[in-house]
Amino acid sequence: MENAIMVAGAFIGAGLAIGLGAVGAGIGNGAVTAKAVEGIARQPEARGTILVNMLISVGLIEAVPIIAAVIAIVLLYANPLL
Amino acid sequence: MGHEIGAHKVAQVGGLTFHMDTLMMTWIVMALVILIAVLATRQVALVPGKWQSVMEMAIEWLLEQMNSAMGPNGRKLAPLVITLFLFLLISNWLGLVPGFTSPTADLNTTLGLALMMITLVHVLGVMHKGLKYFKHFFEPYIPFVVINIIEELAKPITLSFRLFGNILAGEVLLIILGILVPYIVPTAWLAFSVFVGVIQAFIFTMLSMSYIGNSIRDEHH
Repeated sequence: MENAIMVAGAFIGAGLAIGLGAVGAGIGNGAVTAKAVEGIARQPEARGTILVNMLISVGLIEAVPIIAAVIAIVLLYANPLL
Repeated sequence: MGHEIGAHKVAQVGGLTFHMDTLMMTWIVMALVILIAVLATRQVALVPGKWQSVMEMAIEWLLEQMNSAMGPNGRKLAPLVITLFLFLLISNWLGLVPGFTSPTADLNTTLGLALMMITLVHVLGVMHKGLKYFKHFFEPYIPFVVINIIEELAKPITLSFRLFGNILAGEVLLIILGILVPYIVPTAWLAFSVFVGVIQAFIFTMLSMSYIGNSIRDEHH
């Protein structure tokens, strides 16, 4: 019986982790990319620099949501407690 | 599900556990990087051939990033940066080949690389500035040492987990999408994963360069 509760808890936890992580990544990346595109529109010659900085920022912003995805995967498939 | 996610073929040697599949994939990546480098520099001509021009593009771009991140002092670290970038690029891409797995999909690989880079940051800082390097932990006020130490601890953790999470999640999703919707969706995800491999290799290299640049640069503030 407790095993069923733990399995259900793991499923809900994994879903919440990846869902909230996706919301965070979406909002963060959207804000950065919007500003980057605006910067390119203002000064098209700086396109290379702005693009590089934007990609670095996207990588940094997505670090914790990706950790959330790994936690969701661990909860589902490599769960040490089940 | 046929593939156990996160499971590795382990070998116990002398009381220590080794992930044999990660080790063998790392050796394959090493062989590939050496092969590419030899192919690119076999007959260095003034009018470059194909391999040489691709390698020249990558190296010129990396040298430009290094110059802006580490200053002219960092030129001596060029071989390390280029090797790191090539190693990460090939190992991120190796997992997309059917039957192979990325060595960077194992936390041990990424944590080892991240610890190596952070150790390099501190060692280079001490080499360049002597023991005054540790003074910057106490600036601007003494209580800031707590925040600075937490930041120094967070650097290898985020560096390793970012790369590990991206590559592992990509591989797992590839497997699961292959089970759910064969042939079409995994191909689209495969194409995106090629892009992600490049981006993550670049971000790891760029961040390491940036940390090294911060630690050896601070003379003119």
